[in-house]
Amino acid sequence: MTDERPSGDDLHPLAKIDQVIHAPARLMVLSYLYVVESADVVFLRNMTRLTWGNLSTHVSKLEEAGFLDVEKGYQGKKPRTVVRLTDQGRAAFRDYKKSMQQVLDDLPD
Amino acid sequence: MSQKISLKEAERRAFSTTFQDGLWDIYIGCFALMFAIAPLLSRSLGDFLSAAAFLPLFGFVLLFIWWAKRNVVAPRVGTVEFGSWRKARMMKYNLVMLALLVIALILGALSTVDFGLVSGWVVAARFSLVMLAILSLLGYFLNSPRFYGYGVLAALSPLAGEWLYVNLKVPHHGLPVTFGLTAGIMILTGVALFVRLIREHPLPANDEGQSEATAE
Repeated sequence: MTDERPSGDDLHPLAKIDQVIHAPARLMVLSYLYVVESADVVFLRNMTRLTWGNLSTHVSKLEEAGFLDVEKGYQGKKPRTVVRLTDQGRAAFRDYKKSMQQVLDDLPD
Repeated sequence: MSQKISLKEAERRAFSTTFQDGLWDIYIGCFALMFAIAPLLSRSLGDFLSAAAFLPLFGFVLLFIWWAKRNVVAPRVGTVEFGSWRKARMMKYNLVMLALLVIALILGALSTVDFGLVSGWVVAARFSLVMLAILSLLGYFLNSPRFYGYGVLAALSPLAGEWLYVNLKVPHHGLPVTFGLTAGIMILTGVALFVRLIREHPLPANDEGQSEATAE
């Protein structure tokens, strides 16, 4: 009798999914940053509809992972925070996209 | 996640958002207003000066747009720098617009030379085509469908004006009436969008947004 349980290798693309990226809110943030050069947090909040607290948590987590570069500054007297994807973040997102495509393409309708 | 993630759509949405403040509508409306008022001034100032008289108005409107983008729109909607694909597309748009403006200038110059020789309908048709082309291209490159509507309105203005002139003897080829209406629609739409943006995006109290969103 042969063992038909999937081995670790069969699930390889799924195992490669980056858990930091995979959270829906972080995925949204990264998706927007992937298609633009940079954006400030006000713009990100408007696009993702996250609360300030949520956005703060997710941006910090992505920054810790080295995926985001966060630049704090001022425009006039008002604070302005600009966020951009790092090269590592861009590569990680590209890998994530590829892995997800692999996984989802193989699923039956 | 059952919803398909479209990065192109995300980029398109991000780009469109930056043109939903109504400021472009107001600016284009001012151009239409020029076509409405310049004919009224042309008898006393001449064709060139009657159009040039609007330069201070355009300067003022541009100044207002710059101020409003910086102090009203950016704190509410945020700012974004687009990627190289979008920048290349906008560069292409600038080149196409430049070519169109040269064509429009040539056609405009021809109109002042041969106005007595060719029918007013021909002049109006040329004017319409240029208007339609410029505003449709703007709609296409800015991903903003309402500019197609403005294109149609602006294209109809010279033709409807000519009809008013021929049939109802409305002076100045009917342009003050038709372009006046078109300008009114554009400017009112712009103002309505601008007011809606201010109401829908109130300023975060005490700068809670920028500082809180990135608090350690």
